[in-house]
Amino acid sequence: MTAVAVHEASAGARAVRFTPGRAAAILGGLGALTAGALAASVLVGEFPLQLSRALGEPGSADARVLLGLRIPRAVLGALVGAALAASGSALQALLRNPLADPYVLGVSGGAALGATLALALGLQVLAGPSLFAFLGALAAMALVLAAGRSRSSPHAALLTGVVFNAFAAAVITCVKTLLTPDRLGEVLYWLAGSVGYEQPRTLLLGGGLQLVALGVLWLESARLNLLSLGDEEAASLGVPVRRTRAVVLVAASLSVAGAVALAGLVGFVGLIVPHLLRLWLGPDQRLLLPASALGGAAFLVLADATTRLLFPAFHAEPPVGVVTAVLGGPLFVWLLNRREQLA
Amino acid sequence: MTLAALLSAALLVSGADPGPLRMLGPAPAGVVRRVVTLAPSLTDVVLAVGAGDRLVGVSRFDERPEVSRLPRVGGFVDPSVEAVLALHPDLVLAQPGPGNRRAVETLAELGAPVLLLPLGTVGDVLAAERAVGRALGRTEQGEGLARDLERTRAQVRARARAERPVRVLLVYGFDPLVVAGPGGFADELLADAGALNVARDAAGPYPVYSVERAVESRPEVVLDAADVPAGRDRLRALPGLREARWAEVPDHALLHPGPALGKALEQLFGLLHPETVR
Repeated sequence: MTAVAVHEASAGARAVRFTPGRAAAILGGLGALTAGALAASVLVGEFPLQLSRALGEPGSADARVLLGLRIPRAVLGALVGAALAASGSALQALLRNPLADPYVLGVSGGAALGATLALALGLQVLAGPSLFAFLGALAAMALVLAAGRSRSSPHAALLTGVVFNAFAAAVITCVKTLLTPDRLGEVLYWLAGSVGYEQPRTLLLGGGLQLVALGVLWLESARLNLLSLGDEEAASLGVPVRRTRAVVLVAASLSVAGAVALAGLVGFVGLIVPHLLRLWLGPDQRLLLPASALGGAAFLVLADATTRLLFPAFHAEPPVGVVTAVLGGPLFVWLLNRREQLA
Repeated sequence: MTLAALLSAALLVSGADPGPLRMLGPAPAGVVRRVVTLAPSLTDVVLAVGAGDRLVGVSRFDERPEVSRLPRVGGFVDPSVEAVLALHPDLVLAQPGPGNRRAVETLAELGAPVLLLPLGTVGDVLAAERAVGRALGRTEQGEGLARDLERTRAQVRARARAERPVRVLLVYGFDPLVVAGPGGFADELLADAGALNVARDAAGPYPVYSVERAVESRPEVVLDAADVPAGRDRLRALPGLREARWAEVPDHALLHPGPALGKALEQLFGLLHPETVR
């Protein structure tokens, strides 16, 4: 019995059997959905944008808002959503834990610690908190990988990540109490996660990073399927277990670090998007991983557009992390119940 | 306006050096007709130079009745670039800080002239009043505001010289204890009014102050400028603080670095030297 067949059996009859044609059709459909979300999101905002003027008159305020604000922001949302959902999917498979999200490996703690320190010390080197968030995430990743190396079980990495996150949270709390409360608002706002305005070169850099990281994850997706059978079974089927695990951990962590550096800690995307798609597509990572990337992009772009729609109500845009959590929390509970009922 | 909002305004001043007053983006038109302000203090300056009719948008923390009908464009840390641009401003007045730096730079890049006005010290406020006056073609009014404040300071200082210096702790919040430290306009006004700020050893203008140090410093007067009384009674019961005379700052003038500073200074003098006031 192949790995895919095993998973199909365990996931019930709903799973989609992987064929290149079917994958192309499903991913094409999700791609169209993402494109639709991007198009819809650039039409939403406080500025009364007229598309005809924006496209017809290059110097107009409409054109500047479209090209300078809406499109870069939509691209950023798509990048971050794709990164979180795809790495969430990969980590859930790798760690054999449906509750794994992109942040379990300590990346969130490292990024939050880096950003908090940068904000606390008023460091404005290069991109300020973003750069330090990225460095913090990389440091956390290195730590978790080093700790996980000595053991062959995936739980070592998972536990180290969880412990590191708790450690980082304690240090952040300490930093907060040492500081004046006036910077607290800024730190909280960053930690809640928001899709803001980035320069094109930053987007290009982030996009390049995601392309490589998610590309590597997709290349590993067939081996990831086998790994979820268990290490020994996977090894007996010819999977280099340690190498695959290390490659997936590094690629997923890099992807998450890049996303967190650009948007802070946006929650729930990496958890609910893969779960939602798994219900529909089954657990085959060859399909689920790219589908999660597209679905995550569409979900976060729409959630970010929602924050802009909420501006008139609050005279502020709620951080997008709030929207994803408010939408994602109830949905996740419902999914969990459903899963138990199915079981 | 809540204390949190005021403190987040303060953070823009107390954070990394906000740098001098400066323009970002394109030069404003000859006659500025549409002004957006991103902080209530800046709204106060525009109203005080008599250009309130040119305001087209304010922050969500603005509470003055004159601007109650104007659109809100967000807060200190999170102004909405789109909401500002939708108002087609000729000039955006902003208090610079690390929290709104990205948004303000984006505004300027997209063609909105931005005047950045730090408001950390009395000197900053004087410079801002003059700069707003100049930018709005109200040079004399701006100059007048600045002169009024300078005159009030000189008068109050002269009166304070005749009085014995008073040891003062100015409290912005009780839980945690946030006080007026050195380096801000409140500390300068305290000095003008003949006060010795017992928290002058603290770090920055809005520090969280150690309760033990507050007790040990034995202020003669505790000025209560807190928005929320939570924690006040507990602090007031402590030895070293319960012997002090507690006085409430009547309004938020001491939290607003703007044209109301002159009035705030006179109030402060009255609170510190009640025997001089009939």
